[in-house]
Amino acid sequence: MAQLARAGDEAAFAEIVRRYSPRVFRFASKFFRQRSVVEEAAQEVFMKAFTQLGTYEGRGSMEGWLTRITTNTCLNMLRSAKRRPELASADLSDDESTWLENQLSDAAAERHRSSERSLVAADLADRVLENMSPDDRVVLTLIDGEDASVKEVAEVTGWSESKVKVQAFRARRRMRAAVEKLLGQKLPPAVAGS
Amino acid sequence: MKENHIIDVLENRSFASLSESERARIQAHATNCSSCARAYEATKVASSLLRERALEAVEPSPFFHTRVMAALRERQNEVPAFKRLWQAAGALVSSMTATVALLAVLSFVVPGTQTSATAQASESNGYSAEEVILNQNDLQDEQASDAQVLTTLYPAEEAAAK
Repeated sequence: MAQLARAGDEAAFAEIVRRYSPRVFRFASKFFRQRSVVEEAAQEVFMKAFTQLGTYEGRGSMEGWLTRITTNTCLNMLRSAKRRPELASADLSDDESTWLENQLSDAAAERHRSSERSLVAADLADRVLENMSPDDRVVLTLIDGEDASVKEVAEVTGWSESKVKVQAFRARRRMRAAVEKLLGQKLPPAVAGS
Repeated sequence: MKENHIIDVLENRSFASLSESERARIQAHATNCSSCARAYEATKVASSLLRERALEAVEPSPFFHTRVMAALRERQNEVPAFKRLWQAAGALVSSMTATVALLAVLSFVVPGTQTSATAQASESNGYSAEEVILNQNDLQDEQASDAQVLTTLYPAEEAAAK
């Protein structure tokens, strides 16, 4: 199919789009929540794929090749977007504050698990992630959110495994600091020397 | 377990990948260390946020592939701006060159043609422009002798009239 598409067969490329668009959409959804932005990213992915078909040697899977293009496209889109100002606990909605409080108690967290609560959490996660660098977002979303391995992230980003590890280490530190700030008074006070 | 060690453990690996025994050890330490307790709670919440976020996914609409193919055709037909500018400049340069060439032809070639045409006409008439100018006096002589010519042509009629 890739060979036919490379030879200019439009129907073959249309079939590639039809077959792989669910995968590209799911992957782009890890970086963006708005349908229009996810669709814009996915369209750009297939445009690039069409022009770069000559570089696809057919040794790896088409899915893996498209995932790499998707990661790079989303990273570029994140890099060109403006970063939001830092999120403070005062910026949280009532629902978000309640969700955070419930998370501090395992029992309450289980009790309050519902689709509505999940939506609040996903929204809050996005607001926290919007303050972080695109590289931090990639490793946190893929490794901590999706359980991807360091090797898998290295493959889709084109980074070395050691870069992924260092990036993940630093990103976790920054994410923890951001969440600690949001939790503020809800956390036990830090005691000097403890 | 030192405080820094716990934070290192939390930052080295994802929270979800920690085993039960590792979590138990961290929690045991955190009960006596408020800084580690804060770090542990914040890490746990951060992990929950990321995992809830990961559950969300947008599915493609049924018209997505049609839109991609239409956009692809549009992009293929689209002439790049630089190319368009180059084509416009090319047309301008071509028309200017043609104009200059036409003017050159009119300035050098056409006058030459006129000269040769004049020369041909002079040859057929039996005199040239130079001869006409140089023989102005002859011409005046000819004009002055018109009466004589008439007399020469019609002598009988002249005599009868007299």
